[in-house]
Amino acid sequence: MLEYTIKIKRKTKNIFRDPWVWKMAWRDGRHNFSRLFLFMASLVTGIAAVVAISSLNYSLQDELDRNAKELIGADLVINGNKKFDTAWTNLLDKAKVTIAKDADMASMVMFMNTGNSRLVKVTGLEGSFPFYGQMVTQPADAYLKVQGGNYVMLDETLATQYEVSSNDSIKVGNKIFIVAGVVTKIPGGGGLTSTLAPAVYVSLKSLDSTGLVQFGSRIGYSIYVKTKSEKETQKLIEQVKPLAKKLGNSIETVERRKEQLGRSFSLVYRFFSLLAFVALILGCIGVASSVHIYAREKREEVAMLRCIGSSGWQAFNIYFIQVFILGIIGSLIGALLGVAIHQIIPIVFKEYLPGDIQFFVSLRAMGEGILIGTIVSVLFTLLPLVSVRFVPPLAVLRADFIPGRIFSKTRITAIALIVLFPILTAAYQTKSFITAGIFSGGIAVALGCLVLVAGGLLYLVREFFPSNASFIFRHALSNLFRPNNQTRMLMVTIGLGAFIISVLNIIEGSLLNQVEFKGNKNQSNTILFDIQPNQKEGVIKLTEENKLPINQIVPIITCRLSELKGRTVEVIQKDTTTIPDWALTREYRVTYRDSLTASEELMSGKLQYFVKGRIRDSVFVTISEQMHETLRAGVGDSLVFDVQGVPIKVFISGIRKVDWPKDPPNFIFVFPKEILSNAPQIWVAATRVEDPKVASKFQRELVTNFPNVSLIDLRLILSTVNELFRKIGLVVRFLALFSVVTGLVVLAGAVINSKFVRIKENVLLRTLGARTNQIVKITLVEYGYLGLFSSITSLVLAFGGGWLLTKFFFEVKLAANYSELLIISSGVVVLTVFIGWLNSREVINTSPLEALRKEGGN
Amino acid sequence: MPDVVLLSEQLTKTYSSADKKLTVLDQVSFQAEQGTSLSIIGPSGSGKTTLLGLCAGLDVPTSGSISLMGFKLNAMSEDDRAYVRNQFVGFVFQNFQLLSTLTALENVMVPLELRGEKNIANKAKALLARVGLADRLHHYPSQLSGGEQQRVAIARAFIAAPRILFADEPTGNLDEENAQQVVDLLFEMNRQEKTTLVLVTHNLELAQKTERILQMKGGHLIQDSKLKNQN
Repeated sequence: MLEYTIKIKRKTKNIFRDPWVWKMAWRDGRHNFSRLFLFMASLVTGIAAVVAISSLNYSLQDELDRNAKELIGADLVINGNKKFDTAWTNLLDKAKVTIAKDADMASMVMFMNTGNSRLVKVTGLEGSFPFYGQMVTQPADAYLKVQGGNYVMLDETLATQYEVSSNDSIKVGNKIFIVAGVVTKIPGGGGLTSTLAPAVYVSLKSLDSTGLVQFGSRIGYSIYVKTKSEKETQKLIEQVKPLAKKLGNSIETVERRKEQLGRSFSLVYRFFSLLAFVALILGCIGVASSVHIYAREKREEVAMLRCIGSSGWQAFNIYFIQVFILGIIGSLIGALLGVAIHQIIPIVFKEYLPGDIQFFVSLRAMGEGILIGTIVSVLFTLLPLVSVRFVPPLAVLRADFIPGRIFSKTRITAIALIVLFPILTAAYQTKSFITAGIFSGGIAVALGCLVLVAGGLLYLVREFFPSNASFIFRHALSNLFRPNNQTRMLMVTIGLGAFIISVLNIIEGSLLNQVEFKGNKNQSNTILFDIQPNQKEGVIKLTEENKLPINQIVPIITCRLSELKGRTVEVIQKDTTTIPDWALTREYRVTYRDSLTASEELMSGKLQYFVKGRIRDSVFVTISEQMHETLRAGVGDSLVFDVQGVPIKVFISGIRKVDWPKDPPNFIFVFPKEILSNAPQIWVAATRVEDPKVASKFQRELVTNFPNVSLIDLRLILSTVNELFRKIGLVVRFLALFSVVTGLVVLAGAVINSKFVRIKENVLLRTLGARTNQIVKITLVEYGYLGLFSSITSLVLAFGGGWLLTKFFFEVKLAANYSELLIISSGVVVLTVFIGWLNSREVINTSPLEALRKEGGN
Repeated sequence: MPDVVLLSEQLTKTYSSADKKLTVLDQVSFQAEQGTSLSIIGPSGSGKTTLLGLCAGLDVPTSGSISLMGFKLNAMSEDDRAYVRNQFVGFVFQNFQLLSTLTALENVMVPLELRGEKNIANKAKALLARVGLADRLHHYPSQLSGGEQQRVAIARAFIAAPRILFADEPTGNLDEENAQQVVDLLFEMNRQEKTTLVLVTHNLELAQKTERILQMKGGHLIQDSKLKNQN
């Protein structure tokens, strides 16, 4: 008998000191990289989306920083809705600063060459505006001519649309001007304003001579200030603040404009952040799933390597090196693709963004993309590749041999890092751990629900198995709960991919719906405003003569808030930051009536009313839902309005839910009839015009008879706004598409992953005499079940997730596009079945013997 | 160098499934000396492959012990057993088990590369020439016939000059002509290299070419017979 033991003196080498693993990685990979196609596809699409989205964000931020002053064209702008008090002139004279002025208002203008009329923004300019940036006109001396009087300039879009050129005539109010040229660029005017209401520029002096400036006309006045230094600007801001508060003016600083612009893009930023996160998560799932497949395929070879002496780590290192190098290459390709996408975006997007955004190649975004991609390719491949370490050499003799669960520190560490990674990257992207927690928590909850539902469904299928169904249906159904068939994992992966794609669709739909105007047949599409009380009857008559309905004719009174819940606005501004300044200092346009309109719904309390006979505490008004939240004022709270010098104390009697785009005009505050009927007011009328010829005739007659009355053709705005958002939506969809493509890669990976188990089953059936069409049917039905169960679960979860995200993260109303969701869900089922069918084709197209040999590994 | 290359003592292997225990190998003891050949025969399910797996250190016994070249395999970690296999053991399998992504030459070189040896290509080429595949060095397994693949596997098994060679149904997937060729090669190289050969087979004719036959049934070693006819 042999009774001694020899101690092993074997050196363990790390990955960098073991040239054999590098050599093997190359040998194994050189003709084999196509097997990692899914891995590369997931990584490339995921990183491309992340880089494109980050680059766009950086471009926007950089532009805001770089050209901040050009955004307002001055160091400071003072705005008001009435002519500036002499106190302003005194203060600014004393400060010895350079100023320029403008006044703008909405008005109809008539193009004399064609007789067409259109609502425009009439802007009166005075002084050498802009101080920063450049006003570009064609011809270059156009602004000089305008300053001389009798000349106008037009926005380029307007001139093109109405075929107006230099020396044509335009009637603005009562006065006819000669066209001096077009404005191609002006600071502060982003594409957005210009698209909605293109501008006509006159000199400030000649604006008075148009007859448009009347009592009740809505005119915005601005003083543009240029200081000598930043220090002087700050000093001046401190000086003008008290006066602005006293006189009800607002001031606009470069910093504030930046913030405002940032806010107006915040939804887009948030959506982009979500998109980037989703693309990344899908990429991670894709990477993990594809490497899982790869590691599975390599099981036999690993077993053989283990037989001839390779250690578990050596086997692991071979495949780790492959995915690591491919990960870097994939991240590089993804980053380059992301940059390319980013370069394509401005072709659609640029004209709608403020200033001249430089779509530069963001090295930071590229660097982040490559880094994230490399981390993803390491982190998310660790878990599936760690299993390679534990492939037993015995698997060479018994392919089905599964070792018991082995505790591995690497595995535990990998799981911990995988959990942390999405939270940290989301926190980095959104600059908020709470948001990151919500994003990651949402994915984790969805994952948990999918696991539960998958388990529950399998249980139900087993419990209520349709024993009397046909062989094909029974066999396909029973395939779902056979041991090792990975149904649960497959359903979870497919479900998660479908869930993310559906949630994105819901969010995208809700965001776009937020800004789209919807029109229906009975809704007004034309609004006439700035009607003076003495013009009211004339306008009604003219409308009726054109056989147009008067859907609404309502008075508008302008007023400001002076007290809220017993505290003056000034005190509230000092004390609290919870109520925004704009809500306290803005001018409110209110109306009076004793009923609700079609676009209103009383949420709580009573309608507005007036208690006759009482002197105090007698006026009860209703407030819109949003303003009730903004002002934190509810039923029973008191407010004092300054109605053109007269303080009026009111109480909130009720809160109205207002569907703003529906049946305009709509109001934040509605007073009872009795109280404001004698206050200075203007009237607004709403009508509906169907025939473009009637619309054109009506517009012409209106501008001739009532030049101060403005007409807003909502159809035009509607189509312009929709066109605008269609284009923005295109960009959003374009970027979302990359997340969807990553999702599809994940779906494909999940289904291919199931191939191994199912192929074996099909081979056996074929050997036992199953016909091709029987195998095809079984495959289709089984994958159909998988796709259907997964997509139904994901759809339900997507509604939940979409609701939470729209309500708490984007703060918009949920507006799902059901038909698109149905298409997505059906698409998931079809794709699952299609890939399943592709998988089984290998078995179908080969003889049973050949297939069995292949299965045996020969 | 010990005379006894392989020593199996009371080797038992049981598998647990649900609430049952299945004993596939029950207290099997035997030993094999340097340069000898033995075959393990028996019907399906008799425990032949399990015994081979345990003897080669591919698995560990539930009880009993197995020593290979003096190394107590059941007391070692899997990676240490892998080292022992690399140093002393060669394998030939029924389904060849070549690495599909490597050429014939590379497949043969792998065991020595794992040892960290250098300049081994000539040795591998010479071995491939010896098995009649000098003109197939750079072919991939998928480009070779079954017989050729098995000859590559034999070359791979012998390149590391193993002390013991385990062959699991080496001719099971081959036609008669190729099977004969492979058997001749296996025994010839075994003789020349003085390797201990452990053969698992159903084929009695093949088993009778070895010096000794261990007959298995129901997990027990029921007969250990020495044969007169030597190769």
